[in-house]
This record gives sequence, C-alpha cells and structure tokens, in this order.
Amino acid sequence: MFGYIRLELLRTIRDGGYVIFGIASPVVMYLVLSNLALAPGDERSGSIVTMVSMAAYGALGCAFNNGSGIGEDRSAGWLRQLRLTPLGPVQVVAGKIVTGAVGVVPSIAAVLLTGVLVNHVELSPGQWLSIVGLLWAGTIPFALLGLGNGYALTGQTASMANIAAFLGLSIVGGLWVPTMGFPGWLRAIAEWTPSNSYATMSWHVAAGTAPGARAVAILCGWLAVFGLYALYAYRRAGRTA
Amino acid sequence: MENDAVSLTAVTKSFRAVRAVDGLTLAIPRGQTVALLGPNGAGKSTTIGMLLGLIPPDSGKAVLFGLDPGQAVRQGLAGAMPQEGGLIPRVTVGELLTFVAGTYRAPLPLGQVLALAQMTGLENRRVDKLSGGQAQRVRFAMALVGDPRLIVLDEPTAALDVEARREFWSGMRTLAGRGKTILFSTHYLDEADEQADRVVVIDRGRVVADGTSAEIKKIVALTTVSVTTSGEVSWLGDLPGVRRLEVRGDRVHLRSADPDATVMALARAGAVRDLEVTPADLEDAFVALTAKETV
Ligand SMILES: Nc1ncnc2c1ncn2[C@@H]1O[C@H](COP(=O)(O)OP(=O)(O)O)[C@@H](O)[C@H]1O
Ligand SMILES: [Mg+2]
Repeated sequence: MFGYIRLELLRTIRDGGYVIFGIASPVVMYLVLSNLALAPGDERSGSIVTMVSMAAYGALGCAFNNGSGIGEDRSAGWLRQLRLTPLGPVQVVAGKIVTGAVGVVPSIAAVLLTGVLVNHVELSPGQWLSIVGLLWAGTIPFALLGLGNGYALTGQTASMANIAAFLGLSIVGGLWVPTMGFPGWLRAIAEWTPSNSYATMSWHVAAGTAPGARAVAILCGWLAVFGLYALYAYRRAGRTA
Repeated sequence: MENDAVSLTAVTKSFRAVRAVDGLTLAIPRGQTVALLGPNGAGKSTTIGMLLGLIPPDSGKAVLFGLDPGQAVRQGLAGAMPQEGGLIPRVTVGELLTFVAGTYRAPLPLGQVLALAQMTGLENRRVDKLSGGQAQRVRFAMALVGDPRLIVLDEPTAALDVEARREFWSGMRTLAGRGKTILFSTHYLDEADEQADRVVVIDRGRVVADGTSAEIKKIVALTTVSVTTSGEVSWLGDLPGVRRLEVRGDRVHLRSADPDATVMALARAGAVRDLEVTPADLEDAFVALTAKETV
C-alpha cells in the first residue's frame, strides 16, 4: 500500500489542477485579498481571517481535486487494473484517502507560511497547531464528497461537479468574501454550509476563542451525509465496473 | 479440479436482454497456451472478466488454481491485460511498473520485464507520452511484471502493426517456455493458429470448437471444388466427400472433406467443366464454425 500511496503522491504533485487550485490560487488570492483588507476589524486581524479563509479554500481545492482523480482513474480503467493486482479494494480506498489527506498539507502550509513571512501574522504556537489540525481534519467531509462524485460520475463530469462544488461552497461559505457582506437570506444559507462551519472553527481559534460547538456539529452532520454518499457511490461503481 | 489453472463450469452472464456468455465450460491445464477465438461480440471479454473475478457470473462457477478468482488474483497467481485501459497519466513507465511489481510477492526484475515487453530504454518516458504501440507494451508489461503463473490477455495485439505483433509474440513464447499458463483472446485466425497449443472457438457465448488448430481445421475446413454446370445439380451433393453444395449462377461450389474422391467422381460423370479446387484455410474454418448453419 505504501507503493500505491507513493505513486499517487507523485501523480498529485505533477497535477496541474492540484498546483493551481490547491496551492497557487489560494496563495495569490490571499496576497491580493489581505492587501484589499475586505475582512472586518483592523488590518492585522483582517489579515488573519483572510489567511484562514484562503488556507481553507486551498485545502478544499485539494480535497475535491483528489476526488476528481478517482473519476479520471475509473474512466482510464485504472481501478480495474488495480483489481487485477494483489492489492485489495480496501487498500486502494485507504491509499486514496491517505493520499488526499497528505495532499492537503502543502496547501494549508503554503498559505499559513505566506501569512507569517509576507503579512507577519503572529499567533501563539497553540493557535497555530489548532488551526493546522482543524483545517486538516476538517477536509474529511469534503474529501468524501469529492470521492463520492468521483465514483458516481465519470471522468470529465466528475471533475466539473467537483469544481462546481468547490467554488460554490467556497463562495457561499464565505471563504472568498466574508458572509458579513452577504444579503440576509444568503447569510442564513451560508451558516448551514459545511465550508462555513469548517472555516468558522479556525476563525474562532485565530481570534482566541474555542472552535464553537455549532460549527463542529454542523460539520459533523455533513460528514455523515457525504460519508453515506461516498459509500453509496463506491458500492454502485463496484457493481458496474 | 485442483490441477487446472483455469476452470469455468457452465458460466452464464447476461446484460439485460443480451446473453453474453451462455453456459460456457472450459478447463485449462497448467502450462498450456490457449487462444480464445471468436468474432466481435462473441463473449470473449465477458468470459475473461468472469475468470478474473471482475464480473460475477449470473450462474456457474469460475475457479483459478482451485481458488475463487478474486482470491487467486490477491495471491498474485494471475496477471492480466484487459482489452483496453489501465494506463494513468503523470507517471513514467518505470514508476508504474515498479509500483505494480511491488504489489506482488516475487516480481520479475524491471530490466527483464522491459526486455520481455520490448521496452528497454523507455522506462523514463511518461506513460501519457507513449505511442499506441508502446502503450500496449506497457499494458502487457503490467500483466507479467508480477511473474504470475497465469497470464490472461484480451486481444493483446489489436493495436499493433505487423512488426510489433511479431515482437510481442516472441516475448510471449519466452513466457510460455517458462511454463506459464497463457490465455489470450483474438479474432485474428492466424494468431490463434500460430501461437496457441489449443484453440477454443467461441460464438454467441458458447464454445463451438475446441482443439489444436490442426484439429479445428479438420473438423470443418473443407476444400472447395467448383465446376460450371447446366441443368439439374442436386445429384452433385451426393458425390463422395461432398458435405455441402452451393450454387452461384452457373457455378456449383462443392465443399468436400475428400476432394480427390469428389474430383474423380465428377470426372467419371463428365462434369469437370472449368474445374477449380481451392484448399481451405482457417478463415474458412472460422466462418463455417461460427455461421449459424454448421456442417
Ligand atoms: N457491460 C455491458 N453492458 C451491456 N452489454 C454488454 C456489456 N459487456 C458486453 N456486452 C455485450 O455482451 C456481448 C459479448 O461482449 P464481449 O464479451 O465484449 O464480446 P467480445 O469480447 O468477444 O467482443 C456483446 O453483445 C456485448 O454487446
Ligand atoms: Mg472483447
């Protein structure tokens, strides 16, 4: 299985979609947005909020991109080829999940490092650790949604669905522009999205408070929904492969 | 049958109204090279999918080396090249083959696999930058890199030109010489004829003939004796050796199992106008076997 993870990581870092959506675009957007100072509060705290938003945005990009990879692999007959090796289906799925989880790290690190090095963001070590941990673990529901799409749809369609979900959740969840500026109805929706809950946990930590039970509960709810979806899609794909 | 590499017993698979494989039974002893010969849609790929555990049969049983196919594959006993697909972008030939090798307990050394698949020197090429023929060789290499006992290839030479095909079969013969069991499907008759110890002809999901290529030819390969006639011709069908009679215009084509006797009888009857004798090839045998009316 380590061989599989190694192979998948090689493919990930050579993937244009990963580099663009997962690393380049969030870093560039962070630099632009933090200088426009759209976020509330003084410049310093605004820069921190934007940093968390963009790290979250990049992490989502990686998680969805990983799911699109599954759709690609299915269309290419790669999953069938894997079934013809001694590698078991559980190892394949586990390997893909680990790859996705590892792939998220550089994206989060890139934005946070930009925050430290360029915008001189200062937080306590405990805050940094919590933010990295929450941003990292919090991608699981999105990774599952992405994988579900990858298994339910084929190649191009899976990529389109994942990009749509990624951009939609990023925007509505308030990662690009804070929900503060949203009309009331949209803000009400935003507060129930997984992406908003996901970022809220780290926004709170960055502001020096606890992650917030409401955000955690909503994200866990979505985790269950997307987990069931991924399981259903995986089973169905197995029957028709 | 513990000793057989492959054992299919009355396997059946339907896709909605289409019965792709219909009660097919086939046993392949270890070490044999078997060609699964049949036209497009005969059920070759579905049969192979069932024996590799990719497609669950509706009924019947598939067994590899005495094990459930999925289990046999997990133990590294089989390697396979499906009819299409299986290649991924953004990796090199060497990275891909090293990965596949790593999933088996005792794989072949990479250099040896590259040599067998005629790919030496290509290991640093990106898989997505290969030509069609080269891609086909990588797929072949993936089937044999684990050094499995059974190698299954679904139309392995479909995308290859004549030269590449020749090289491919030389690699295959090396493997057969090492005692591997090889099952390949094809609709090229000459390939089945030249490369296999045994030819299994399938059509509409059933085995219609099974034997050495010489035996297959003998079953149905009939020499055609043609003459020009006028008037009543039905008596020609009763001549010695004649199995079938076809009339096209004023020419009569007699399919004969004993062309000498047929020609002698025609001569005695004074009916040898524009006599023509055409020996059968496997192509004819194949057409005869898979035609609705077999002789
Ligand atoms: N997944 C499938 N869905 C529907 N029909 C199928 C499927 N796979 C094969 N068939 C049908 O089953 C028959 C046998 O197909 P196949 O095994 O691919 O034949 P071959 O490999 O000999 O060309 C064909 O009529 C084909 O159209
Ligand atoms: Mg086929």
